[in-house]
Amino acid sequence: MTLDHRAARPWDETERLAALRSFDILDTDPEAAFDDVARLIARLCDTPIAVVNLIDEGRQWFKAEVGLGVRETPLDTSFCAHALLEEDGMVIPDATQDKRFRCNPLVTEAPHLRFYAGVLLKTAEGLPLGTLCVLDVEPRGEGLTDLQQEALEVLGRQVMSQLELRRALKLKRQSEEATQRALTASDYVGAWDWDVANDRVVADARFARMYGVDPAVAAQGAPIGAFTAAIHSDDADRVGEEIDQALAAGGAFVSEYRLVVGGVIRWVLARGQVYLSDQGAPLRFPGVIVDVTERREKDAALESSARALEQSEAKFRAIADSMPQMVWSTLPDGYHDYYNARWYEFTGVPEGTTDGEGWNGMFHPDDQARAWDLWRHSLATGDVYEVEYRLRHRSGVYRWTLGRATPVRNADGEIVRWFGTCTDIDDLKRMEQGKELLSQELSHRIKNIFAVVSALVALSARQHPEAKAFSQGLRTRINALARAHEFVRPHTETSRPLVGTMTLHAFLESLFRPYAENDGRPRVRLEGDDAVFDDQAATSVALLFHELATNAAKYGALSTPEGHVVLNTQAQGDRFVLTWRETGGPQVAPPARAGFGSSLATLSVEGQLGGRLERNWRPDGLTVIADLPATALARRRAAIKAG
Amino acid sequence: MTARILIVEDEALVAMELRFLLEDLGYDVIGTAGDARSARDMVREEDIDLALVDIHLSDGPTGVALGRELGQEKGLTVLFMTANPGMVRGGVAGAIGVLSKPTDEVAVEKAVDYALRRRRGEPIQYAPPELQLFA
Repeated sequence: MTLDHRAARPWDETERLAALRSFDILDTDPEAAFDDVARLIARLCDTPIAVVNLIDEGRQWFKAEVGLGVRETPLDTSFCAHALLEEDGMVIPDATQDKRFRCNPLVTEAPHLRFYAGVLLKTAEGLPLGTLCVLDVEPRGEGLTDLQQEALEVLGRQVMSQLELRRALKLKRQSEEATQRALTASDYVGAWDWDVANDRVVADARFARMYGVDPAVAAQGAPIGAFTAAIHSDDADRVGEEIDQALAAGGAFVSEYRLVVGGVIRWVLARGQVYLSDQGAPLRFPGVIVDVTERREKDAALESSARALEQSEAKFRAIADSMPQMVWSTLPDGYHDYYNARWYEFTGVPEGTTDGEGWNGMFHPDDQARAWDLWRHSLATGDVYEVEYRLRHRSGVYRWTLGRATPVRNADGEIVRWFGTCTDIDDLKRMEQGKELLSQELSHRIKNIFAVVSALVALSARQHPEAKAFSQGLRTRINALARAHEFVRPHTETSRPLVGTMTLHAFLESLFRPYAENDGRPRVRLEGDDAVFDDQAATSVALLFHELATNAAKYGALSTPEGHVVLNTQAQGDRFVLTWRETGGPQVAPPARAGFGSSLATLSVEGQLGGRLERNWRPDGLTVIADLPATALARRRAAIKAG
Repeated sequence: MTARILIVEDEALVAMELRFLLEDLGYDVIGTAGDARSARDMVREEDIDLALVDIHLSDGPTGVALGRELGQEKGLTVLFMTANPGMVRGGVAGAIGVLSKPTDEVAVEKAVDYALRRRRGEPIQYAPPELQLFA
């Protein structure tokens, strides 16, 4: 007869297995409690075999066994496994005769069991986990005695209790561990319980140690005073008041205060609950404390940072507002967000109206574009910003101002802010312009003086006809000096000579112009390296070449149309050599005596310029070599460079 | 016909020497003016062929405007004579050119000769090298 046991099964197999797993019993080591039960029931029932049997998926596993020698056997997931679990208090006199068990390997193979009696191990919900059973290799038609049956039932319930106890203990332990972890993470210190009526505080060991109280004393119970003694003297009064208020009103209590134990100060946060009697008197006051020392230290650090920052900003503003210059600052993108008091005093604009890019409108229209370009360039490249412009004063006039700004960078080198100043340079600029005018004026007058002196010489000579030649010679020398002076005095755009450059060659070209051909071609050809010369050398240069040219015009190459002169100037290391070569003129010979003019020339070169002058009276023409130190022509500049 | 010349120069000594020089060369120096106003007065009174004009006069740097006016409106031939030729670097309409002071006697002679030839419309090949011609 086939019974549809599956349909009759009153439990859900998945649930059953889950319940079994929850006991955490499978595959564990043997335990005395279960071994004792198995041994006892085997003796009581007089069977060689007794098992605490748990039915897992596809196997039966023995928590305890006597007489089997194995701890598990596989079990086909046929009704065989579940047959064991279906009926409580099942007794099988001869398993070989019972089709429910014919397939059990313990029946078909060794040890060839024949007799079975067992009780179910059921959870509180009624799920069967397994059996407590006794077995024999001999069939027993009469089954168990009443006592044996009762013993089996009782011990079966014991096994279940044992399993439940085990599970409960395990859960408790897990819960405790979780709690401990949570507490450690939360700086939880401990808990107290104050029996207010009897003034007895019971607290755990950690709490006790925190308050400097012997844990043994705390465990027994001590008056509140024993604990509050550890409160910092600065907090004691306040906490006392808070406790009194809580005791009077009942309900929640929260307080933060310091404990001083053995010289060490720690901050704690206490949270508790006051329970009042029906009459409103405080009965119990339990609570927990949490160590908040670190949190408070962090807060304190933040606070002092914030204060330091505030002070630093205050200091900055004080400095910026006390400076005579205007100070401003921008974000990295150039947005102006700060101006000091000077700026607003100068411009007279309402505070905030020049934030952002409003500054540009304060500049003179002619300077706006230039300033913008320079500012944009600085923003893009990080280059220092520097520009002179006219800034509108509150009175409406524009004043010359020097704007400068530098970037401030963070640790990564990125610009985080620009700080800038505006300095009023109007007075300075006007002074400069004044000086410039003065300089021009002076220079012009000096030039004019040459003209006056020259005229004076000429006029004087008219009185003395015999002095005419003398005066002409003198005048031409003066004119040469005047011409040289033109090339060395400071110039502005308007006074600069028409030639443009102020160099040796430019001067010489001007000096020799009177000797040029009618069509303008020069008769003194200039070659070689040009040089600059300053006012100290001007006189010497002028006199030297004036003499050479005048003599050439009187006696030498410039006195005939076929003659010409080549003047070669060479920079040679630390020397500067000028070579004047006349050719194509009449034959020449050295003069008996050096004339005044040539004495002047020698004096200029050797005395003033510190060089060497050599004259070669060659048959084809005079050659003159002036060998000067390279610095001779611009001694002041050389001195500056060296110094 | 002897050319009639006006000297516009505020330095008395320089003006005097220039006058003697020109007279030695056979020219008629009609007068010397130290400022623009007296120069204009003189031009109004007399016929002048050539004016030698300094830029800085006793009433300021009025020479440039004066020279332009004399050349363009009054029909004079104008030569600037100045220690500061840069002031007329770009040329001045109505004037021929500029001589740098202090001047060379020979340069003055040649420049005046050149200017008068131009006034007479004579063909001339070369200008004296010391005379900076305006375009």
